Amino acid sequence: MQRVKTTVIGSYPVNVENMELMNGYFNQTESSWNKYIKSAVDDMVNAGIDFVSDGQTRDPFVNIFTRKLNGCRIRDRTEVIDKVEYAGSITVEDQKYVRGILPKNRQLVGLIAGPFTLTRSSVDLFYNDEKELAFDFAKALKQEAQILQKHVDLISIDEPFFSMEMPEYGKELIQTVVKGISCSTRLHVCGDVSKIVPSLLDMPVDILSHEFKASPKLFDAFKQHKITKNICLGSVRSDNSRVEPVDEIVEHIKKGIDVFVDRIVQLAPDCGQRMLPKDVAFQKLKNLVKAGEKLYG
Amino acid sequence: MFSFTKEQEVLDISGIKIGGQPGLYPTVLFGGLFFKGEPDFDDGKKQIQNMFYLSKKTGNPAIPDFFVRTEEYVEDIVNFIEKNVPSSRPFSIDIIDPSLKIKILEHLGKKNLLSRTIYNSIHVGIKDEERKALQKYTPEMAIIVAFNPKDKSPDGKIEVLQNGANLTDVGLLEIAKNVGIKKILVDTAAMAPGDNSGASIAAIPVIKEEFGLPVGCAIHNVVEKSKWLDGFEVARKSVDASSNVNIPLFGGDFAIYGPMINSDLVFPVIAWQDILVSEYTENYFGISPVDSHPRRKFF
Repeated sequence: MQRVKTTVIGSYPVNVENMELMNGYFNQTESSWNKYIKSAVDDMVNAGIDFVSDGQTRDPFVNIFTRKLNGCRIRDRTEVIDKVEYAGSITVEDQKYVRGILPKNRQLVGLIAGPFTLTRSSVDLFYNDEKELAFDFAKALKQEAQILQKHVDLISIDEPFFSMEMPEYGKELIQTVVKGISCSTRLHVCGDVSKIVPSLLDMPVDILSHEFKASPKLFDAFKQHKITKNICLGSVRSDNSRVEPVDEIVEHIKKGIDVFVDRIVQLAPDCGQRMLPKDVAFQKLKNLVKAGEKLYG
Repeated sequence: MFSFTKEQEVLDISGIKIGGQPGLYPTVLFGGLFFKGEPDFDDGKKQIQNMFYLSKKTGNPAIPDFFVRTEEYVEDIVNFIEKNVPSSRPFSIDIIDPSLKIKILEHLGKKNLLSRTIYNSIHVGIKDEERKALQKYTPEMAIIVAFNPKDKSPDGKIEVLQNGANLTDVGLLEIAKNVGIKKILVDTAAMAPGDNSGASIAAIPVIKEEFGLPVGCAIHNVVEKSKWLDGFEVARKSVDASSNVNIPLFGGDFAIYGPMINSDLVFPVIAWQDILVSEYTENYFGISPVDSHPRRKFF
């Protein structure tokens, strides 16, 4: 069997020293965020993960994007108050930093919050037209993806809101973001996607990523269809702190192989790990890597 | 000059009124003492007397802001406050080190001074120990520093007040209320020159319109840190003092103007600005200044 790569979905927990940030303010010096990115990256590398992310340590993933897009402001939720437009790189500088500290034998995932998720996570005070807003988000994200592709090995689009509702223009939205992108692309949709499997299999991306560990019924849902996409198999839960033993993960991956055969190209946690304690997140990654090694060598 | 559509809170801080629509109350001035850490109590006493004299002359309320840098002087400074700040007046304590903040709260509590204390400050660096100390020894008033390391714009400052910008469990306003602070002042967190320093001024009307609370800042910090001004040594103090006029001009309620030794420069500058603001806001918005306002002393 060809060795399947281990990866992450996106976010990773870090312990931010708020007082250190305040001391930067009191001393009127700029505090760098790089130490928190490095902390996340070091854990992923030390756990043995092949495709590493920047850990999305700065903010919840929606805010990372809306904080830097024109037309958005952050209150309790993001508010859209003007036309959404790209205002310059959002994640690229962090990715460049990660590339600089990443061992040569590891690869880098660039992360993009999906346009539909940004739309549904925001309070629209300007458009009054969800589709128009979603496509403006998509066009802005496209510009980020165009720059990002030069610095990463894979671009992953995170669209959890697809699991609640797949809009009839969902494919077109993703197409807007990925069209012309030369690196590999992945679409991550967590939650129960059992009712939208055909739409997912039709998406213009190379890899589909879902939370198979928390929702093993997804295996049955995918079994009903011809698998035309590569799969990133969610194999450890991100929503609870129990660290799955290696053998349990191995058994889970075997179930995945029964359904997807050689279409599994990545093993990952079910979702971002931001809400887990740091030591738990690290141990889950380590066990994921060990399980992958046990199966694939 | 303008007025706000949001109803503005006017706080009574040990007899000093702060907040409200521009032109109603004079700008409250916080002058700092013992910034270097080792207090000169004799000099401090003279400076406080001078500041109160200027306050009486101009009409701008004065609040001494005491820096405490080391544990060694905690007790002495609290004793100094007790003896030298009249019992009818408020004062603020300005401390960075969280463990020192906890110690001084205890001392202020023991001396029954908490009802006159303005706690400077609550910010995203607050930890559980400090929250517990504040719950046990609760000052009547606190300044919240709206510094958001993720976004230094006015929007970022609102974010950190409202929800903590994912750095604290809840917003800074809620943290202050949860520990029992009754009267809240917002400091818009002046940044270093070139680091969005103008946002601290722009944020004044934005935050007042959003929350209706008294707002101000230490805009002089921007001047103090300016290396560019090294080439204009004669002008430095004037620039420092005059930077404070931005605060009443943008609708603000208080200025933390730096060392109290600068009082002679700052008080007349701010009083003059208050007069100009009041003239316009009365003519245009019909806001008559209170009897203690500098404009009443001018005519």
